[in-house]
Amino acid sequence: MRLHPLTSLAAACSTAVITTAAASLPLSLAVMGAAVVLSARGGTARRLLPAAAAVLLPLGLSLLVMHGLFFPEGRTVLAQWGVARVTAEGLAFALERAAQLGAVVLALLVFSFSVSVPDLVAVLPSRGVHGRFAFVLASTLTLLPAITSRVERIRQAQESRGLVVRRGVLHRAAAFRLQAVPLVLSLIEDAGTRTAALEARGFSNPGPRTSYRDVPDPRGQRVLRAALLAAAAAAVAARLLLTQAGS
Amino acid sequence: MSAAHHSTETKPILSARIRSFTYHGEGLPVLEGIDLDLAPGTLTAVLGASGSGKSTLGRLLSGWLPPGTGGTLRGFLELAGSRLEFGGSGDPRINPAEWGRHVGFVPQDPAAVLSTVRGTVAEELAFGLENAALGRQAMKTAVEHTAGVLGLTELLEQNPGSLSGGQLRRLAIGCAIIAGPQVLIMDEPFASLDSAGTAGLARLLQDLVKLGTAVVVLSQVVDAPLLDAGTWLVLDNGKVTGSGPPAGLQAGAGLLPPGIRAAGGAPAPARDHTGAVHADTLLPRGGAGVPALELRGVCFGYGGGGRAAGGRTTRRRARGGSPAGDASAQVLKDINLSIKPGEVVAVTGPNGAGKSTLLRHFNGLLRPTAGDVLVHGRDIAGEPPGEAARSVGLLFQQPRDELFERTALREVCFGLDRLFHPGEAAGRALDALSAVGLSGAADAHPAELPASGQRLLALAAVLARKPSVLALDEPTVALDGGGLALLDAAVRSAAGEGAAVVLVTHDLDYARAAAHRVVMLDGGRLDG
Repeated sequence: MRLHPLTSLAAACSTAVITTAAASLPLSLAVMGAAVVLSARGGTARRLLPAAAAVLLPLGLSLLVMHGLFFPEGRTVLAQWGVARVTAEGLAFALERAAQLGAVVLALLVFSFSVSVPDLVAVLPSRGVHGRFAFVLASTLTLLPAITSRVERIRQAQESRGLVVRRGVLHRAAAFRLQAVPLVLSLIEDAGTRTAALEARGFSNPGPRTSYRDVPDPRGQRVLRAALLAAAAAAVAARLLLTQAGS
Repeated sequence: MSAAHHSTETKPILSARIRSFTYHGEGLPVLEGIDLDLAPGTLTAVLGASGSGKSTLGRLLSGWLPPGTGGTLRGFLELAGSRLEFGGSGDPRINPAEWGRHVGFVPQDPAAVLSTVRGTVAEELAFGLENAALGRQAMKTAVEHTAGVLGLTELLEQNPGSLSGGQLRRLAIGCAIIAGPQVLIMDEPFASLDSAGTAGLARLLQDLVKLGTAVVVLSQVVDAPLLDAGTWLVLDNGKVTGSGPPAGLQAGAGLLPPGIRAAGGAPAPARDHTGAVHADTLLPRGGAGVPALELRGVCFGYGGGGRAAGGRTTRRRARGGSPAGDASAQVLKDINLSIKPGEVVAVTGPNGAGKSTLLRHFNGLLRPTAGDVLVHGRDIAGEPPGEAARSVGLLFQQPRDELFERTALREVCFGLDRLFHPGEAAGRALDALSAVGLSGAADAHPAELPASGQRLLALAAVLARKPSVLALDEPTVALDGGGLALLDAAVRSAAGEGAAVVLVTHDLDYARAAAHRVVMLDGGRLDG
């Protein structure tokens, strides 16, 4: 079934909210697992996993350092260096928080790597989002692929004139310094010419606009979206009630 | 001089009196003393060599270069009865969207038209209509009609980013005409179109003129359809040197500047000054030696697991990240080609036939899914493209894809230090610039050169490396008469020194004049 972009957005957001509100390690781990499986099925895992690692590794490490070493409520001391104590409770807390964060990040990344950008851009104006904002959003989502293809083109031009780039990420990264300046200059130049074209094609028209792309929004998905949002709201409410009751 | 007076008495829809137009920061005007009246139902050709100011005039008339922000205009523009006077403080401002409703423009680089956020050709065509809030059914009808007229129907569901050069030009034309503007201005529209595309565009022009559109074609080549124009306006160095019906200008020798190429004109050196040197006489003798370039059973498909340099599987990606619609199609099927040192081979074929894809196999930018590519008998399968580039020089179809440095000299110098001593490299770069007539532009930014200059600069960057295999992708596009003569001289000189040359071109006249052998790539197979 083809998901309406707002349905996948609602699913990602409510998953993030519910996991945060529940603060349960098994749930967080289950969500993380499900996100990875979904992304592997959708064929986006190769791009998603490095992006997730780039976000989560530094955050996870800082959580570990903060709570693993300095957790006042910790009783079971595993190791101690002066004021710094590694406690079992601290480690458990750090793990729980890291899993929670991981679930949220993965859920949102699965959405952003799987959503059809043209569908999203087509849908937003009909929901009252200004066309210019929708365009900026779409440009942001397509920026990475656009930059990648531009770097590829510049590198191909350079390779055709004798730049030897060997296989492997490190060799590519080393070669990138030669492509960085041309990349920025060409993006700026491109933006200049593109503006004239967009303006002439009425992109800045203040009035209403229509969409050529027909994005079906079946009733089932509309109901599903409402249910997802209600579940998220319920999870937050339950969390607040539990906190109040516990205090 | 008034351009359209000769052809019609109808009231013009767009008029311009340009006393002068000067870009900000430049001392001398790029346009001077141009009077133009474009009446409904007329075809006007603005002819001029590269750098004559054609593109500036086109962008100025179409609202892409609004006076004030883009430069200083003295004179007036009058569109649909309302006149905008420029020339002092308090100049009016052009609303590009409002202007664009009346005047459609196809720039020289068709890729500049793309919105970049639309996933298919159909949606790209509809972009302007969406912004005008047209209903979906009306948009669908308009898209289907425009696609039919331009031969884009088969491509409607493809990603614009996956189109070939010629297909992209048709899309740009479609984007300009879909809303039915009263004035249509096209900058070098025939460049990179195959013969079917040229014939189709000629018919389209006739139809638009019949329907009452004022059509303007800016060109440095007198393409056959321009012979039917009501008016020619000849530009040289930003000034009008002649205007009137084609008959009068063609007959009077000397009225057309030498840089303007004749219709279907073969390059001048094919009938060169000695009268003796024809490509055939240069055909290298003997066939016993190792071919400079050999393709054995090469197959390639973008979705078929073809390997890009660096070992990754290639797939033409949509700008939004989804694969192109025809991803699984085989672009090249069992290609066998052998080229001797000193031989010039032209590859022709319709737009989208895979000509550029073929050239990218010569230095390993693309790797065949089956078959081998041999350069001087050496299989380049395991070599990075940078190594293969020692022997193979590749001129890209779009010069802007090839140029990335800050000055023309740095551009030509790039990579030369790997081939020559540092002292020698600079000298070779200057020689190459001089060979293409760009000695004076060594410090210019490549993007500031006119299209012809960019093509020649890219050529200089290839020639400076003295490759033994020279692969040129549509080298004649955007070249004026002078540029074409330089290109032809360079090709002959390279072949004379023993380089094998492969030209990909849709320009059959040029192919026949410049090459020993013409082969045709169609449906993924090579004939001839």
